[in-house]
Amino acid sequence: MAISATLALSITNVPNFAVATFGTIGIYISFTCIKIFGIGLYPSLIFCFLGGGCIGVIIYYLLIRPLRNRGATREELMIATLGLDVLLISLLNIYADYINRTFKIRTRDFILSVYDFNVNGIDGVFIMSTLVFIAVLALLHLMFTKTKIGIAMKALGENYYLAESQGIDAERICLITWFLVGALPATAGGFYPVYWISNPTVSFFIVVSVFASCVLGGFATIYDAATGSYIIGLAQTLLISHLAKIFGSWILPYNFFVALIIMIITLFLFPRGLYGLPWDKIISKTRSILLFVRRRG
Amino acid sequence: MSIPGIDFFLTLIIYIIIFLIVTLSYNLAYGYTGIPDFGRAMAAGAGGFLCAALSGRLMAYILNIQGDYIENVIPIVSSINAYLSENPLVSIALLLFSLVLAALAGAALGLLASLPILRGLRLFYLGVTLLAIQIGFNTIALYWKPFIGGPLGVPVPDPFRWLMNYSIGGFSPSLMRLIGVIFASMAVLIITIYFCFSVSRSPLGRLLKAVRDDEECAETLGRDARKLYVKVMTVSYAFTGVAGALFAYYGGYVVGTHFDKVGWTFWPVAMVILGGSANFKGTIIGTVFFITLRRLILFYKSDLEFILPFSPIWLEYLLLGTILILTLTYRPRGLFPEKPELTLDKKEIQRIREERREATSSSLKT
Repeated sequence: MAISATLALSITNVPNFAVATFGTIGIYISFTCIKIFGIGLYPSLIFCFLGGGCIGVIIYYLLIRPLRNRGATREELMIATLGLDVLLISLLNIYADYINRTFKIRTRDFILSVYDFNVNGIDGVFIMSTLVFIAVLALLHLMFTKTKIGIAMKALGENYYLAESQGIDAERICLITWFLVGALPATAGGFYPVYWISNPTVSFFIVVSVFASCVLGGFATIYDAATGSYIIGLAQTLLISHLAKIFGSWILPYNFFVALIIMIITLFLFPRGLYGLPWDKIISKTRSILLFVRRRG
Repeated sequence: MSIPGIDFFLTLIIYIIIFLIVTLSYNLAYGYTGIPDFGRAMAAGAGGFLCAALSGRLMAYILNIQGDYIENVIPIVSSINAYLSENPLVSIALLLFSLVLAALAGAALGLLASLPILRGLRLFYLGVTLLAIQIGFNTIALYWKPFIGGPLGVPVPDPFRWLMNYSIGGFSPSLMRLIGVIFASMAVLIITIYFCFSVSRSPLGRLLKAVRDDEECAETLGRDARKLYVKVMTVSYAFTGVAGALFAYYGGYVVGTHFDKVGWTFWPVAMVILGGSANFKGTIIGTVFFITLRRLILFYKSDLEFILPFSPIWLEYLLLGTILILTLTYRPRGLFPEKPELTLDKKEIQRIREERREATSSSLKT
């Protein structure tokens, strides 16, 4: 998800507040596939990817393109995506109500872990999510370094008009980017109900973690976003389960505070995120310290 | 005397007044200064939650009621209310004191929330951060039991209770209470309007607009834009805090889920944008329009239930999202676009122009 938000911001220059709700769309697509059409859990991820992508494209055509053609400022785009967020949440709730009334099944507070498989005591979702994560990262890396589309995307992110004057079809690239912007969080959302209890308003809480990851990553490249989200995710789950052992279970509802605190610390100490840190200096310094230690030893 | 629908009407007026305070102060931050403040619900919450947590404890301390406040909150607050209904002066003092306190709390929160700006934070990040902090703030209010009773919430002492003993013009006691709330919030609204109008007409208002349009340009002219952001945030959060406190007293009960981001951040944003930002006429009309619409949806909820295949609460959300998007796409400057701020009267400018023209024409003749 953080990758998607960073993509949207860095390439099409749109701060996307609705990204967590794209994830919720993924949750409901996989829910529909499993409960109504009887497709398995992991095959339905493909539909999540495609469906989320289509929704991303529709949003691009209906909302982002008219706004950009008008020359809207960043603040206006921000508010527009906030409106989109509310709109999508309401549509999802309406959908949940509709399904509830026509098919007479529970559409809120559900968990889909029974559809998961189990390998030697490890839940399938861990294996699959890690695999999908690595695959997505690898594919994006290949796309950005080897294909023309990826390089064009980067160019567009650097400077819109310069890229266009070089003969890049900005329209097509934006379309592809928005397909990814919709598809990636929806795929991530497909994993969500396997592990956590889901309902249409779950995005209110994910959004903090997602933005914390983006801020930690620095809203710049997909690698930083991936690192940021991994750090946040690990911190959130591991730290909270440890703290819950020490202080008791009352601390569990505050789990996203870890993300919030990390975000605030990031903003105060290094506001440009991991991307903005002077990595070459840090690396050379640690290397010299290591050398020093080795000589001593 | 009973007029059909007067209950609905008075409630509508209260909502309009309270939200006008919020939107006018929001307009100061977003419309005039251009701060993308998505944590506005936090300011209202500061006022409202503080009222809920403090005013009851304070009264219990004054009246010397023993016992754990949260454990026996309902008997304690009802005995406080019985006392307050006998003593109008104490009620008014409590109301004034807690409103001032709410303003201070709002101001403190605004100051804290805008401190990252001084560290050189970009305004876009500020929007994101405030949104996230606001969600965290509400979560604390919802789950931290010693504060306002956790998920159950607490009743708030009612400083308008004494009005129920009187009856002017044959209004029923509950209507008398509503009228009291209207008068109190009207007083706050008048202060807010006076403040906002005098700011908008002063050099400060023009400076705010200058900072919004071009921060660096204003800085080259010797203005400290970052300090200005902090000041505006502090003042406008203080007003919103008072509005939150008024809402808590009106409702008489506060839970952590009150003052959520949709009701107290997104709706005010929509109101300001639809009416036209940096423009008080637009803001007022936008607020009145949206609040009326919302109350109507709520009022006819049970009737709508049969027509629609879903719960009508989502109709409100649907409407909010659609109107925000449509406004931004088709009328980005709102129904009443901002007018250029003139330092002199229009007539004065016209007169000076005429004089100039005559002077040049006479000089050409000679």
